[in-house]
Amino acid sequence: MTSLSRRELFSAGVFVVAGAAAATVGGESAEAAAPQAALLGTTFAHGVASGDPLPDGILLWTRVTPVKTAVPGSGLGADVTVTWELAEDSGFRRVAAKGTVVTGAARDHTVKAAPGGLRAGTSYWYRFSSGGVTSPVGRTKTAPAAGKALDRLRLGVVSCANLQAGYFTAYRHLADRGDLDVVLHLGDYLYEYGVGEYQARDVVVRPHDPTTEMTTLEHYRRRHAQYKTDVDLQALHAVVPFIVTWDDHESANDAWSGGAENHTEGSEGTWNVRKAASKQAYAEWMPVRYDAGGQLYRRFSFGDLASVSMLDLRSYRSQQASTIVSPQISSPERTLTGAAQMNWLLDGLTQADTQWKLIGNPVMIAPVRFPSTLSTAEIGGVQTLLGSTTIDGVPYNVDQWDGYTADRSRVISHLRDNAITDAVFLTGDIHSGWACDVPADPLTYPSTGTSVAAELVCTSITSDNLDDILGVPPRSGSIAVEDAFKAANPHVKYLDFDSHGFSVLDVTPAAVRMDWYVLSDRTSPTSTSSRSVSYQVAAGTHKVTALA
Amino acid sequence: MNGPASIAADRRQFLKIAVGASATVVLSAAPGTAWAKPPSIAVPSAARTRVYVLVVDGCRPDEITAQLTPRLHALRRQGVNFPTARSLPVMETIPNHVMMMTGVRPDRSGVPANSIYDRAEAVVRDLDRPSDLRFPTLLERLQEKNLTTGSVLSKEYLFGIFGERATYRWEPGPLVPLTNHAPDRFTMDALIAMVTTADPDLIFANFGDIDRVGHSDETGTSIKAARAAALGSSDFQIGRFVDHLVSAALWENSVLVVLADHSMDWSIPSNVISVDLILRDHPALREQIVIGQNGGADLLYWVGSVAGRTAGLAEIRALVAAHEGVLSVSVPAALRLGAEAGDLVAFCRAGWRFSDPTIASNPIPGNHGHPTTEPIPFFISGGSPRVRREITLSDPARTVDVAPTIGALLGLPVPAGGYDGTARSAAFTT
Repeated sequence: MTSLSRRELFSAGVFVVAGAAAATVGGESAEAAAPQAALLGTTFAHGVASGDPLPDGILLWTRVTPVKTAVPGSGLGADVTVTWELAEDSGFRRVAAKGTVVTGAARDHTVKAAPGGLRAGTSYWYRFSSGGVTSPVGRTKTAPAAGKALDRLRLGVVSCANLQAGYFTAYRHLADRGDLDVVLHLGDYLYEYGVGEYQARDVVVRPHDPTTEMTTLEHYRRRHAQYKTDVDLQALHAVVPFIVTWDDHESANDAWSGGAENHTEGSEGTWNVRKAASKQAYAEWMPVRYDAGGQLYRRFSFGDLASVSMLDLRSYRSQQASTIVSPQISSPERTLTGAAQMNWLLDGLTQADTQWKLIGNPVMIAPVRFPSTLSTAEIGGVQTLLGSTTIDGVPYNVDQWDGYTADRSRVISHLRDNAITDAVFLTGDIHSGWACDVPADPLTYPSTGTSVAAELVCTSITSDNLDDILGVPPRSGSIAVEDAFKAANPHVKYLDFDSHGFSVLDVTPAAVRMDWYVLSDRTSPTSTSSRSVSYQVAAGTHKVTALA
Repeated sequence: MNGPASIAADRRQFLKIAVGASATVVLSAAPGTAWAKPPSIAVPSAARTRVYVLVVDGCRPDEITAQLTPRLHALRRQGVNFPTARSLPVMETIPNHVMMMTGVRPDRSGVPANSIYDRAEAVVRDLDRPSDLRFPTLLERLQEKNLTTGSVLSKEYLFGIFGERATYRWEPGPLVPLTNHAPDRFTMDALIAMVTTADPDLIFANFGDIDRVGHSDETGTSIKAARAAALGSSDFQIGRFVDHLVSAALWENSVLVVLADHSMDWSIPSNVISVDLILRDHPALREQIVIGQNGGADLLYWVGSVAGRTAGLAEIRALVAAHEGVLSVSVPAALRLGAEAGDLVAFCRAGWRFSDPTIASNPIPGNHGHPTTEPIPFFISGGSPRVRREITLSDPARTVDVAPTIGALLGLPVPAGGYDGTARSAAFTT
C-alpha cells in the first residue's frame, strides 16, 4: 500500500530517532550498525522458523552465521553443513526426521529443510546444529489430513510491521497465547524505507539497517536479517508455523509487475534487477515454499474445515491507474492477479473440498467509496494513509481491487454464479481494521443486502494509520471519518482507522470469527494488548455480524 | 384432525379421514396393508425409530431465520446442521427428490431434470411417470425389511413419478390451478393423518408453497412479501407437525431430515436467454435440436443426422456459450446426468433464466436449475436420542445423501452397485 509517497516523505522534513543516537538519512549510524555487531559470533542469531504446513510435511528455516564475517548481505563465509532434526517431543527422544543442508554465501547462509512423511495434525519440535552449536528449539505443527473432520482452526492474522514505527509486541502477544495452529502474514513483513523516511509519526523508534532505502540484494538481505533479530518476531516464529505472502513493501511501495511508486528507474537501478533482488532475499529469508522466480501464490487445506489460498497481488499486476476516474480502472486489459493466478483462484474456489474458503488477500477487495462529508484535513489524512486522491463517491484507492474492477467482477460473478459459500477474504495492507460484506452489486446492496463473501481486515503491527497522520490522539478525530466511510459504504460494518495490533481468527463449522486486539502503545516494548471488537461470519451467510 | 371416518376398499385400499370441519384426507395403501390402530388406542413403540423427510421445496438456506421461520430455525439449532449442503444437477424438483430416495445420480436413476425430450415419443414432457424412475427407492426397499413407508408429496408430478412405491400414499389435493400443487396446509393435514392412521417407519413429504410462490409471482414487485408470507406459512405447518409428534408421544422416537430440493434465483425481464433466439440466424442448426427448458438450465437434444451431429453440436455449443447470460455448456456425462439429458446442458448465470422453445415460454422471474441455486438448507433434528444435539458439521451434504443416511440409520443394506451419496452418520450418536 501507499504509506507515504517518496515525494511526501522527503518533503515531510523533520524526523527524530528515538534513543540516544540520532541517525541521518543516507549515512550509517552507530545505532543502525549495532544490531549487526551483536550478531557476530552468534551462530543462530536470527532464530528458527517454520512455515507452509502440509498434512505430511513442514518447512523449517534458520540462518547460520558460521564465522563473524559472514554477516547478512556480505557475501562472505564459506559453505557449511547444517544438520536439522524434527522430533515428536521437546526432548528429541523420538526423532521423526533429520537431515543435513549445505548453505553458503550464495544464499546468504540461510537454511531451509522440508521434511516429509510426517503425521498429520501433529506437533513437532525442531532444531538445527552447525559447527558444534545447536540452535534454539522451535515448535511447529503439521496440517490435519485432507478431508478430516475438524472442529476448530485458530489463526493469528497480521500485516504491516514497520520496525522503525515501533516494537513488534503484537507478535509477542500472539506467541504467548500458545493456542494458534498457524499465523497468516498478509504482507509488508518488512519495509524498504531508509531511516527517517517512514516511522512512528515523526519518531524513529528503531532505525532501519541499512540506513538507506533497500534497493540492492545486499540491502534486502540485511533488512530481512535485521527484522529476524527482533525478539518478539523470533518468539512467534519459534512456536507456530507461518503462512506468508508479500505485499508491496517487501520490494517497494505500490509495486506492480513493471515498477513501483517508490522506485526510480536508473538512479535506483532497473526495476527488474531490484525486483529480482527482493524476491531472492524473500526466498532466502522467509519460511516459505518459494524459490526466487517461482510462484508464490499457493493453497493449503486444513481437514474438511478450511482452505487458505494465498494470493500474490504484486508480481503480475498492471500499473495502477493514474487517477481514480481513469477508464483504465475497469479495463479488462488490466489485471491485478494475472490470468493464470485468476484461473487458479476461481478453479480453487469451485473445486474446494473444504467448507471455508479463506483467501489471503494482500489488498482490500470490498469496494470502498469516498464519502462526501469529510473536511479538507480529514481528506488529506485519508489520502496520505491510503495513497489516493479523492473525488466524492468514487473509489478511494486504486492500489486495491477498486483499481482493477474487471478482475474483481470476475471474482464476484464467479462466487455468485456458482453459489460458492463461505468465502472469506483475509486482508492486510491498509493499517486499519475492517469487517465488510462483499456485495454482489454495490448499487443494489443497500436494498437487497446481497453479499457473496465477507472480508476481514487486520490492522498494522506498527505502521502509521489515520490518527498518526492527522496528529490527533487515538480514537478522537478518526471516529467521524470512520462514520462517514461506513455511511457511504453500508457494507462496511466495522472500521477502526487508528489502532495497531493483531487479529485472531477462529474457524469452526458454524462460523468464522475474528477478534481484533489493539496495542496500548506500539512504541513501547512492554505494550499491552486487549481485545477491541469481534465480528463473525456465520456459515452460509456471507455476512459479517458484530459479537459482544 | 377428527380421525378416520371411513375405509373404502379397492384394488388398493383407501382410508378417508376427516380433518377439520369440512375437509377430508384420502390415503391409499398397497393391497393387504394394514392400517394402524385408531389414534385413540395407538400405542407408540419406544424402540421404533420413525424418520420423516420434510422437503421445504425451493427454500434458500438464508431464508431460515429466527424471525421468518422460527420453527425451522429452532429445529436446525437443536439438531445437526450441514451449512455446506447443496442440490445436485439439474437443480430441479423431480431429479433431486429422486436422488433423495434412491441415493444415486441421474445417470443411474434415469431422472436428470423435470422436463426432458422423450426421444421415443418425440415429445418434451415432465418425468412424472413411475416407469421413468429405474432405480429402487427407499420407499419400496424398506418394505423388504418389513418396515413401512409413506409418501406425502404436494406436487402432482412427484406423486406421479413415485407412484405407488410407498406402503402408504397421499394423492395431493386440492390442487392450485397452474401450479398443480396442494397447499402446505392440506399437505400437512395429510402427513399428520398418515402418522396417525398408518404410523410408517419412513415418510417422504414435500411442501410446495415456498417454491410455487417463488415461481408464480410474475410481477416482480411483490416477490419479497409473498415469499415471506409463504415461508411463514410453511414454517407454521412444520410447527404443527412437531407439535403433533410431541402430543402423540412420538417425538422421542422421531428423526426429522429437513432439506430443500433446490434453492431459488430471480431474474429481471431483460435477463432472459433463449437458445431459440440465439439460433435464429442459424435455421438449419435450429431445426436439428429440441430444447428441454428447465428454468435455469436448457437441455439440448440433437435430432438431426448422425453425420452432422459432432460438428452441429460443436457449433451450437459455441454459439450458446457466447451469450453473456450463459455460465456453462457441458455434456451430460460431465454432470452425471445420463442419456435422458440429451446432448448438451446449458446453465445460466445468477440473475438470468432460460426461456425456450420460444422467448415467451418462461415469463416467471423465479427459477432454479442453475448452479447459483445449489445451496440448500439441510439439517437433521428430532427428539430421537440418536440425533446429536446443537452441532454444525462441515460435511458436504447433498440431496443424494438422504437415502444412504436413512438406510444406514434403519439398517438397510446398500443397493446393488452401491450408493452415489454418502451416509451422513456423523449426525447420529453411535
